[in-house]
Amino acid sequence: MRYDYITFRSVTFAQRGERVLQSAKIRCTLQRTPRWMEEQGCGYCLRLHARQLAAAAELLTREGVPFRKLYEQTAGGQLEEVSL
Amino acid sequence: MIYLDYGATSFHKPPQVYRAAARAMASCASPGRGGYAAAMEAQRWVYRCREAAGRLFDCQPEQTVITTSCTHGLNIAIRSLIKPGMKVVISGFEHNAVVRPLHALGAETVVAGRRLFDWEDTLEAFRKALDQGAEAAVFTHVSNVFGYILPVEEMAAACRQRGIPFILDAAQSAGVLPVSLEKLGAEFIAMPGHKGLLGPQGTGLLLCRGSGEPLLYGGTGGASRPREMPRELPERLEAGTMNVPGIAGLTMGLDYVLRRGPEDIFRQEHRCLERCVSMLGKRGLRVFSGPHQAGTVSFLPGMDCEDAARRLAEQGIAVRAGLHCAPLAHESAGTAETGTVRLSFGFDSRPEQLSHLERALSRAGI
Repeated sequence: MRYDYITFRSVTFAQRGERVLQSAKIRCTLQRTPRWMEEQGCGYCLRLHARQLAAAAELLTREGVPFRKLYEQTAGGQLEEVSL
Repeated sequence: MIYLDYGATSFHKPPQVYRAAARAMASCASPGRGGYAAAMEAQRWVYRCREAAGRLFDCQPEQTVITTSCTHGLNIAIRSLIKPGMKVVISGFEHNAVVRPLHALGAETVVAGRRLFDWEDTLEAFRKALDQGAEAAVFTHVSNVFGYILPVEEMAAACRQRGIPFILDAAQSAGVLPVSLEKLGAEFIAMPGHKGLLGPQGTGLLLCRGSGEPLLYGGTGGASRPREMPRELPERLEAGTMNVPGIAGLTMGLDYVLRRGPEDIFRQEHRCLERCVSMLGKRGLRVFSGPHQAGTVSFLPGMDCEDAARRLAEQGIAVRAGLHCAPLAHESAGTAETGTVRLSFGFDSRPEQLSHLERALSRAGI
């Protein structure tokens, strides 16, 4: 299974993002951010099924939920930071 | 016991509040720190609490800072907004939770409006004080001693029109009267979790329009590397491990208030108030009552107020006497020397309880 990730500046924004995405039927899981993704130390992110990242990011932006970074899984299985 | 001290705390809670607090003690770890189930459950309670508060008070979850008390929230708010020497308008009915932080900061306070239950006096004095060089205002929604509901919508409008930032102390109104961060346009609104919101003691909320300055510095669970506190609310103002059992209970208290509606709770309290004022008046006691009154009333018992409260306590009636941590309000009402006996009603108070109070007053010689 391939997953994409959205990282947030705070757990509260991550939870608000989770609510927004779930209400739009975009399945996601709140979890701790992998250490290498978070240069500030610790944080929370949302893990999504692949190919939903663009829709999710657009929705979060529209709903005013700030996020930090987007990571997309490549065909080779690597996670790469992307901007949409 | 007949509990008539809801102004101090809602000693009774809806059963789901006790259940949630107990369950959280058994099942929740520290929120915002770990990724395992018990930590995530704790974090879910915290977020549910913010969401419920957001629905009740018209704000976003991240604008809801969870504090340990209303006093804690007021201290954050005052330290964020007021600088030493600033000219700050306060009402004549403020609690020490407002008066003391302002004094400690070295703010120049101007007391405006000292006549009980008189909106015209309150507003005229308040507007006049704002126009005399005020830089900020801090005022209570409801006097904790007398139940006087201040005209906060008009006071807020007066501040907004003049571009003067203000803080609202909603200690006695949250959960009972409409309180909207968005409509009022306050910089901060502080409230306890354990009074009208029916949560456990050790909880409070601070609603923030923008950012604020931390009162405590430390870990927040996220963005750990910088030496500075995070910029984002609510974490910026929430250093340290949170009181999750309290927050879980508060969430269920908020849920109860949302389902029932503050206006219904207010109606019930007001029915008790009206009957109580009438009964006390018939006994020839000096009762402080008037229009714009919430479910709190003070009276002079014709003897030392603490002695009167003790005599009532001996008969199973719980009331509070003295100055109620609000000497300024007592000065405004002319009761600073005597204090008063305060009766305050809550979400489960019933007018029938007043028959017991009446008999207790007779037996106590009041």
